[in-house]
Amino acid sequence: MSELLLTLAVKSVLVVSVCMLMVAYLTLAERKILGFIQLRYGPNRVGYWGLLQPIADGIKAFLKEELTPANADRKVFLLAPIISIAAPMLLLVVIPFGDTVTLFGREFTLYLSNPDIGILFVLGISTLGSYGGVLGGWASGNKYGYIGGVRSTAMMVSYELSMAFAVICVVLLSNSLSLVDIVHSQAGVWNIFKAPVAFLIFLISGLAELNRTPFDMPEAEAELCCGYNVEYSSMKFALFFFGEYTHLFILGCLTTTLFLGGWHGPLLPGIIWFFIKTFAVIFLCIWQRATFPRLRWDFVMKLEWKFLLPLAIVNVLATGFIVAIF
Amino acid sequence: MSPEFILPAVNFQCILPQILLSLTALLVLLVDVFGLVKKANALALITLAGVVFATLTLFSGTGLQETAFSGMILVDGFSFFLNLTICLILILTILVSMNYQQFFPGINSGEYYSLLIFAAVGMSFMAAAGNLILLFVALELMSVSIYVLVGFHKDNLRSIEAALKYFLMGAFATSFLLLGFAFLYGATGTMDLLTMTEFIRSNPEVLSSGLFLSGVLLTLTGLGFKISMVPFHMWTPDVYEGAPTVITGFMATGVKAAAFAALVRIFMVPLGSLPIDWSMLLWVAAVLTMTVGNIIALVQDSIKRMLAYSGIAHAGYLLIGVVAGGELAQAGILYYLLVYAFMNIGAFGVLALLGKKETEYNTLQEFSGLGLKYPVLGLAMAVFMFSLAGIPPTGGFMGKLYIFSAAIKSGYVWLVVLGALNSVISIYYYLRVIVVMYFQESGAEDVAFPAPSPAITLGLGLAAAGIMILGVFPSYFWVLAQNSVFVPM
Amino acid sequence: MLLEYIPILYLMLVAIGFGVITVILSSLIGPKKMTREKAASYECGLPSEGFQYFQTPIKFYVFALLFLIFDLECIFLYPWAVHYNQLGLFGFVEMLIFICILLVCYVYVWKKGALEWD
Repeated sequence: MSELLLTLAVKSVLVVSVCMLMVAYLTLAERKILGFIQLRYGPNRVGYWGLLQPIADGIKAFLKEELTPANADRKVFLLAPIISIAAPMLLLVVIPFGDTVTLFGREFTLYLSNPDIGILFVLGISTLGSYGGVLGGWASGNKYGYIGGVRSTAMMVSYELSMAFAVICVVLLSNSLSLVDIVHSQAGVWNIFKAPVAFLIFLISGLAELNRTPFDMPEAEAELCCGYNVEYSSMKFALFFFGEYTHLFILGCLTTTLFLGGWHGPLLPGIIWFFIKTFAVIFLCIWQRATFPRLRWDFVMKLEWKFLLPLAIVNVLATGFIVAIF
Repeated sequence: MSPEFILPAVNFQCILPQILLSLTALLVLLVDVFGLVKKANALALITLAGVVFATLTLFSGTGLQETAFSGMILVDGFSFFLNLTICLILILTILVSMNYQQFFPGINSGEYYSLLIFAAVGMSFMAAAGNLILLFVALELMSVSIYVLVGFHKDNLRSIEAALKYFLMGAFATSFLLLGFAFLYGATGTMDLLTMTEFIRSNPEVLSSGLFLSGVLLTLTGLGFKISMVPFHMWTPDVYEGAPTVITGFMATGVKAAAFAALVRIFMVPLGSLPIDWSMLLWVAAVLTMTVGNIIALVQDSIKRMLAYSGIAHAGYLLIGVVAGGELAQAGILYYLLVYAFMNIGAFGVLALLGKKETEYNTLQEFSGLGLKYPVLGLAMAVFMFSLAGIPPTGGFMGKLYIFSAAIKSGYVWLVVLGALNSVISIYYYLRVIVVMYFQESGAEDVAFPAPSPAITLGLGLAAAGIMILGVFPSYFWVLAQNSVFVPM
Repeated sequence: MLLEYIPILYLMLVAIGFGVITVILSSLIGPKKMTREKAASYECGLPSEGFQYFQTPIKFYVFALLFLIFDLECIFLYPWAVHYNQLGLFGFVEMLIFICILLVCYVYVWKKGALEWD
């Protein structure tokens, strides 16, 4: 028993460190890709091809002065960045990176945990992450931060609806809430071909959950001068930033798991396929950031409540009908 | 792998009236929001048509004796009789509302009528509930709809105050009820009323366990709040006075009917074999409820408030039936609830008829000389007052007679004596209305009585006729009530 | 089955620990030269005026309530979806009725103008 616990602990630390490293380099990747799209170089001074940039950024953030505004709610002000990094990090636990492998004559599963309620866990914890933004905005005692926080809550809860409805289609096709079972059920045909509309809805809502362009209303620089994290500095700001990229990584993993067949793929080992697909999704997210302008706030709400939500509900019914017939 | 899934037995036939009512509610909502009809009374007429249709389908279930949805719904005479009562209450309320919207145009909306229907659906599910969970959900459906309806005069501070008061205290009381259900479940291991009855029969020792008794007390608190049993009656006068008058009539009769249904289903059947001490508790509650209601009603100047206190007193009379126990008392309660629906909605209907834009006339002065100015209306009001006072040959008298005689048969002579004394007290304030109407000069000259619409004529006529029929020819409905008592299968 | 939740516990510790340690470390390492100007809230350089918690538009509350309604509906769909292969067409019709009732509410809300943002 204790050996098992130790194995699990080692695995947990391993998964977290590898993934966090990937997330750190995700920040560089985004800047590089955006640079190339906009005919710039992107960061290229620190290390070859800017490869040490994330580390330099981290050290810089540590060495900066930490400011707490006079009229901030101190405890909540401290809590907010912790929530916003902890929630997406916790989600790593249920992501199935691959099937079982045999190492040193023992079987290992390439996922930390496979609870029965996998998807509900994901939805619940990712919503918890939105507390980071709203509490941060509220506690900083700043009008822009406050607006940003309120907007971020309204947007996140709204888009969570269509996201949850899109996930129902996947559950309908796989008849299980466990992420591993869902991947197993896609051994033949991936869910994206069975439920393409759900995939699009999931991706769009996912971008909104992430506060990414074109849905970066809560931190719209032009109107809110950064929104909920306007008063944050040094590592606390970096935690917000890091949390957002972790969430982006998680979104890529989830899209892969739910719609793109997870680790399934020909020739290459499963885990490689998994990361190829994940980074393809992440690349898509970065690409569209360079392509689409930011939406106006009322359009953001309109898109969700008047288009995505009814579409998602009807889509559930349609998927259900097709599954029942065939 | 997921365990085998067992489909529950589904029998839509058993809840057909409720389904039809809910569909009507949705239809009215949509018709209103799309602005499909322009005529003033169209929404009310659509609602009325739906409700009447649902009432007719109710009769397809006469004589059925079964359970549906795995024991959730009990389809028996008891639920049939109460559903009939609730549908009648609903029809009368709609008829009265059609006139009331002259003064308060705000209530002529889809929300009003659909909330009314949803409240009635909640009531009828309460009457048909065979499971504490369904009972609770139905109670919430009813309560939440009525909280909103009480505050339907959005511009009227009294109305909003009443709604808030009712909501806060109601939510508080509901939590007691839920805790009580949880305790009952803990003590008996089941939420199903029939199974609970069985369990108590085979394990009588559970009756004296602390868990069970606290469950009983908490449940009694929750339901006692709904029927405004003393000492949980504090909200009643303010809420009844602040609510739109038609809603007051609706909640005074409908909520009482539904809550007494729950009381009968829980307290008279599974707990019927309980030792004497809990019925002692109800004994005291019944006496207090009657007396407090009647004594305070004596000094009221506003007829609406007076009727609110009289509502408390009537809950006391009905509680005598619960104390008495047995099938005869159950039949008496059913009969009394039916009569009470007619007389109370009738009385509030008359109040709702008098007024001008945004104001109502409901003080005694404003009623002076009314009986001479408008003889028909005065006569109707007199009938309602006589019936509420329990003077023969009205239905109110017969109802009291049945309940009191059942109580005497069960040996509660003193309780009946106190009840009769209370009736005598109540005669004073009911007759005062009649005296003011007929024997005082008309004081307030501007008390205008708008031309009676056919709807209110029909409504008040129906109520008065119902009272007289129940009073003069009681046998048909009495036999029906006797056949409708809840006997666990 | 409980074993599946042990890694969740581990990761919870790791995630919260990461956040807490980072916050503590950065407050230890960074310079501390607080001035009154630095402690003022940053509103694009202008001095901050008025109370920072102004009234939030009522619209946000309306959307929050709508979210509650639809989220509950959505959660109700999950167990249905898990057992869908055993429910078949019967389950589909049942859920169709349920969703239609909620769509009526949705249409009502839309027509009443609760979804407009102005």
